[in-house]
Amino acid sequence: MKRISGFLLVGVTVTLGLIAVPAYAESTPMTEAHIERIRDNCVDAQSVLTQLHASDALLRVNRGQLYESISTKLMAPFNSRVALNKYDGSKLIEQSATYERQLDDFRSSYKSYDEAMTKALKINCVNEPVAFYDSVADARTKRQAVHQSTLALQETLQNYKDQFETFAGTIRGKKQ
Amino acid sequence: MSEEQLAADKAHLSKWEQHKFLLMIGFSVVIALFLVGVALALYANSGAAQLDLSRPGYQSVREQAVRNDMFDSFPSTGDLDQQAIEQFRKLYDERAKQATSVDSFGGTVMSDEALSISAPSQ
Repeated sequence: MKRISGFLLVGVTVTLGLIAVPAYAESTPMTEAHIERIRDNCVDAQSVLTQLHASDALLRVNRGQLYESISTKLMAPFNSRVALNKYDGSKLIEQSATYERQLDDFRSSYKSYDEAMTKALKINCVNEPVAFYDSVADARTKRQAVHQSTLALQETLQNYKDQFETFAGTIRGKKQ
Repeated sequence: MSEEQLAADKAHLSKWEQHKFLLMIGFSVVIALFLVGVALALYANSGAAQLDLSRPGYQSVREQAVRNDMFDSFPSTGDLDQQAIEQFRKLYDERAKQATSVDSFGGTVMSDEALSISAPSQ
């Protein structure tokens, strides 16, 4: 009997200890004042995030189409024309392949961001302010990843352009 | 065929055979539900959902989507002369300028301060 009571005592102590752990966001302890501030302003924040989510969806569609059209309507036909005319376009093809890979990264990182944002918007932030704060932080990190992927695409666009100019210089030299 | 004959024939049928029509409808509904589930899973997992501006909540931005057929493409066949090089350069520069002119998904629009959910200053 004493043994059972001992186990119960330990169990209750551990449970109470777990409940008593302060609220954490991104492994940083949150003060009550901070939680209260989130609770007070989160409805407005969710409204701002809803608008941002809609405008980001539009940006994803328009940017995605633009990035994709550069690959399918410019890079691929040009590479194919270079090959048909029996020139060495390996550097251009290399840049196109990098661009395609980065385009896939852009698509998948946007998908992750969209899911994170949808999750943040679904949270009842008045009842769960800490979960809301963490979800916003997660969505922010994933949005940053989308931004990085657009920067990578822009850099490759410039690299392809540089390779194109080198190639144009080469064939100009050959034809003269 | 008289009613008695029909009743006699029915008596010879098994329970499954007596409810064939209802079973067919039931199976059809189950198969339809399964296919709808598969379609929705593909819609959600393929990334198509992210491009679908017909979803509720996107009415305000739907009109601003750019049509894909507005972009000119470079012909994939023909000689690669100076004229072709110039044509490609013009098309590429135009498109690259559009792609690099906007700082997409950047900025501090999602910062704690912008959303007023930052920790209060001591």
